[in-house]
Order: sequence, then structure tokens, then C-alpha cells
Amino acid sequence: MPVLIYGPEYQRYDLGARHPFSPSRAEMTLDLIRELGLDVEMLEPEAATTDELCRFHDPDYVAAVGALSGGDSVENPERFGLGTADNPVVRGMDEGARQFVGGTLTGSRLILNEEEARVLQLGGGLHHAARSNASGFCIYNDLVIAINELVDAGKHVAYLDIDAHHCDGVQRAFYTSEYVMTISFHESPEFLFPGTGWVHELGRGMGRGHHLNIPLEPFTGGGSYLDVFDRVVGRALAWFRPDVLVVQAGADGHEADPLADLMLISSDYEQLYRRIVELADQYASGRLLVTLGGGYAFDAVARVWAMLALVLWDQPIPERVPEPWRRKWEPVLGRDGSATMHDPPIEPSAKRDEVAIHNRQTVGYLFDAVAGLWL
Amino acid sequence: MLVEEVMHRGVVTVEVDVTLADAYQILRDGGFRHLPVTENGELVGVVTDRDLRLATSRLADHPFAPGARVDDVMTRPVETTRPRDPLELAARTMRDRRIGCLPVVEGTTLVGIVTVTDLVDAFLAVTGVRRPSGRLELRLKGKTDEFAALTRILAELDISIASILTSQEPDGRSRLILRLETIDLHHVSERLCAEGFEIIWPPPLACQS
Repeated sequence: MPVLIYGPEYQRYDLGARHPFSPSRAEMTLDLIRELGLDVEMLEPEAATTDELCRFHDPDYVAAVGALSGGDSVENPERFGLGTADNPVVRGMDEGARQFVGGTLTGSRLILNEEEARVLQLGGGLHHAARSNASGFCIYNDLVIAINELVDAGKHVAYLDIDAHHCDGVQRAFYTSEYVMTISFHESPEFLFPGTGWVHELGRGMGRGHHLNIPLEPFTGGGSYLDVFDRVVGRALAWFRPDVLVVQAGADGHEADPLADLMLISSDYEQLYRRIVELADQYASGRLLVTLGGGYAFDAVARVWAMLALVLWDQPIPERVPEPWRRKWEPVLGRDGSATMHDPPIEPSAKRDEVAIHNRQTVGYLFDAVAGLWL
Repeated sequence: MLVEEVMHRGVVTVEVDVTLADAYQILRDGGFRHLPVTENGELVGVVTDRDLRLATSRLADHPFAPGARVDDVMTRPVETTRPRDPLELAARTMRDRRIGCLPVVEGTTLVGIVTVTDLVDAFLAVTGVRRPSGRLELRLKGKTDEFAALTRILAELDISIASILTSQEPDGRSRLILRLETIDLHHVSERLCAEGFEIIWPPPLACQS
């Protein structure tokens, strides 16, 4: 049976009442998982230590986060990416962020100790955080630290990122490494934050050919998304032959998401999750660590991430959203939530064919570029 | 941005009596295309890999031998720039004279070189794409107080500006491309639209103005 990592302390990663990266999203998800009757084994992580954080982060940055989090002042916090709209200074943010790192790190250790093969970390996925600054809602990069734990134990790690934004922090950390492959599907960096994730970013030195970016057109939709996903991931994993698959399962590609425009619906996510489990079984001996990530349409992300849990636990997906859950969370949503787990189909974009051709060309360019590197 | 901020220092040069073959080898080994030429240490010309290839091509009317001297084929006199010159002045000189590099001189001393590639790098830096940011494009009517209103709203939202670029449209309005250090660009777009700004991207879906 898989294990779910979550702790009430995750609620401390709270960047403010009006901030999109709300801890309620994971809480709603967990609550829905339980209401749906899924019996999960839950593990509460320990907070990451300063030593663990400093295996990736700059000690000065960690000290600054700690000081600001405790209410002390730090000169010019903007140089650490803090005190901005995306990463405001909030009391307790250091503790919350350490919890996320501890959770993802626990997932790596469970897999390394062969206690669990499939782990769902119901938090974390802070893929923008850099060595010495916060970025895009992300303070500490739990993914980099957890992947390092696996790499230090001699594992080859494939990292798959389905968040709508490019995983700049993770890619950069492993850009010259031959032990980590990163594969990121995201909305085109032409417009969307953070502005990286182009096809030509293939890695440097020994890492060249280990970093795959698939920038997708705005309004891509599920059909084209799954089409390019199928063309890339299996082929990449077959070449790289990872020991572990780590997935950042941000759900901000959902059509209701206020930050991005990829136009996926819940059935697309269900398909995606089933493929991820199959890929882990086929190419990584079933070793799979999944984290959350972006996703800011609360009702949609709770349903989609609950589906993720059901798929990981090999359970069927019920059609109805339980009434008590809806009644409980509707005040938070400020409106009625969906009565069904699945979204109704959406009207395909008028540019659907054009977008699909463009996305497929992107995959063509990608394979043209890596062909010579994958010999 | 000033020339000295983007120029390459420690320039490789050759004396006038170096052969075309040796000059070509220096360019190939160094992985660059522009070679200032000096006479007794003083800058007198520039020779490029294209100059060398055209001069020695079998298709040339009177091909030079590989053993000819570089001062037979170099460009002279040479256009130069100074370290404290604004970069746009250097760019303009290069475009007007249709050349790909400018040696940088201080008095009579060669201190650096700036090429078209350096200008592209500078352009990338100016656009802000090297910093994690999103791209917001809007159109201004050309009133003097619009910019103040725009930056006031960004300040209220606590959003740092990675870059601001403007270009004039023929009718007097201007296009403004901002790179903003926020992941939530839609939020900014909605707010600016509600305050009467014309947004080009990202489309403000909820704004009815």
C-alpha cells in the first residue's frame, strides 16, 4: 500500500488570506480523500534541519528566512526574493517551509529504505525556489533536497513536472548532472512566469540531453496535452532508465485556474495520473514519489488531487462529491462546488487544431535536438 | 548601459605582418570572428574571418595567398568607441557603418572590443528575460500621467519590475512591455484593466471595462 505524507504543521505555510498558494488546498484534498472512504496510512514528517536545507540552500538565505519568519528585520529582504507580492514576509513561514522539505525528504527515505514504493506527499513541490532566493510562492526547494538524497544514495532520478509553470529551480540545480533527468510540461514561457523552459534548454556538460522542456501553447487542452505527453515521457524514461520517478503534480493546468491557461479538465488529469503510475511501474520498478505544487482553483484542485490519491491507491473514482464535504467547504470557496468528481466536457478552443500541430512540432524540435545526445 | 559594461577585455590582436593563414588559425582556436590589427602596438585596422575567407576564396577575382599579410586585406581606418560611450551609440555606429564589431579605445590604448553578439546579450538583459518573471503587454494612450498611475498600482501590489520596454506606434500611442517578477500575472492584468488600462496580454478575462 502507498503511504501519504501530511502533517497539520503544513498549515503554517500560509502566505496570507488573499494569497493563492493557500494551505486550505491540501486540507480540502485530504478531507475529500477521507470523505470518499479511502483508507490511507498517514505519516507526519519531521521538519527539515538547517543542515538538510543547506545541502542546497545558501546558509545566509536560510538565516534570513528564519529571522524574518521570527519577526526580526533583515536589511533589504528583496535581495532574497522576500517581501514581494509572491513571497510576502509572514510569521512562521520558515517552519512551514521546513515541514514541506521534511515531508518530501521523508518520501525519498521511505523509497530508499524500500519501506514504500509509492509515496504521495500532500504538500511541497516548491519548484521555483533557488539556492539563495525565494521565487514564485516557493521558499525552500523540497524537490531538489529530496532528489539529492536519492542521488547521494546512488540512484538515478527522473523528475517529471506537470505544473503549468516551468520548474526553473529544479532544472537549474541539476543542469550539469547526469544522474537526474528533468522533464517539464508547461505553458509557453513566452508570456508565463518564470520565462524559462524553452526546448533548447537541454542541460550543460554531463547534464546535456538530460533536461527536456515541452513548452505548450496557451489553451492547449487535454487532447493535445496527452498527445505530446505520450510522445515524450516513455521514450525519455526508456533511454534514461531511472531508479526512481519523482513527480511534481501541480494542477494549475486546470481550465478553472486563475493563473494559467492550459485548459485541462479532471478527466485529463485522471488520464495523466494513470499514465504516471504505469510509467513508474514500467521504467522505475514502481518507485514513485509524487508531490503537490501549483493549482489555485480550489474546488478543482481538491477533486483532481483526490483523484490522484485514488489512482495511486488503485481505487475506482466515485462519481459524486460527498455532500458533507461540499457543505463544509462551500464557505471557503464562496460559491457552490462541483457535485461530481469529474468536470463537464468543455467547448474545445477554436484554435484547437493549430495548437495541436504547434505542440507536436515542439516535440519534433525536442527530439531533433536530443537525437545526437542520446546515442 | 555603457560600452565598458558589456565589452570584452584582454583583446587578442595581431601585428600587420602576420599572415592570413596564421590570423585564421588564431580566430579558429579562439572561437571568435574579429581581430584588431596593430602596427607597433597601435591600432590600425580590423580583420574578420569573413575578410580572410573572401580574400583567399578561389572564387575571388584575385585571390590572396595564405602567406599574404593581414594589412593587405584588413579594414582601415577603423571605427572605434570609448568605454564610457552609451551602448546605443555603439550600436548605432555599427548599424550605420554596417560593421560587426568596434574596438574600444581609451586615448590611444586598445582596452576592449564589443560585437553584435554582445549587443544581443545586452538586449536580453534589458528585456529582463534572464530573471524569473512574466510578460505583460499593454498600450498607453500617450498621456503624461499614465505611467505614474501604472507604477503606483504595481507598488500597491508589491510587484517588482524586471524590465520596462516601450515602442511608439504611428498614431502617438505607445506599446509597453513589462516583465514583472510575479507568477500571478492575471491578477495584475485584471487590476490594470479595471483601472482603465488597455491590456494586450494576458487577456483580462473578468474585466468588463
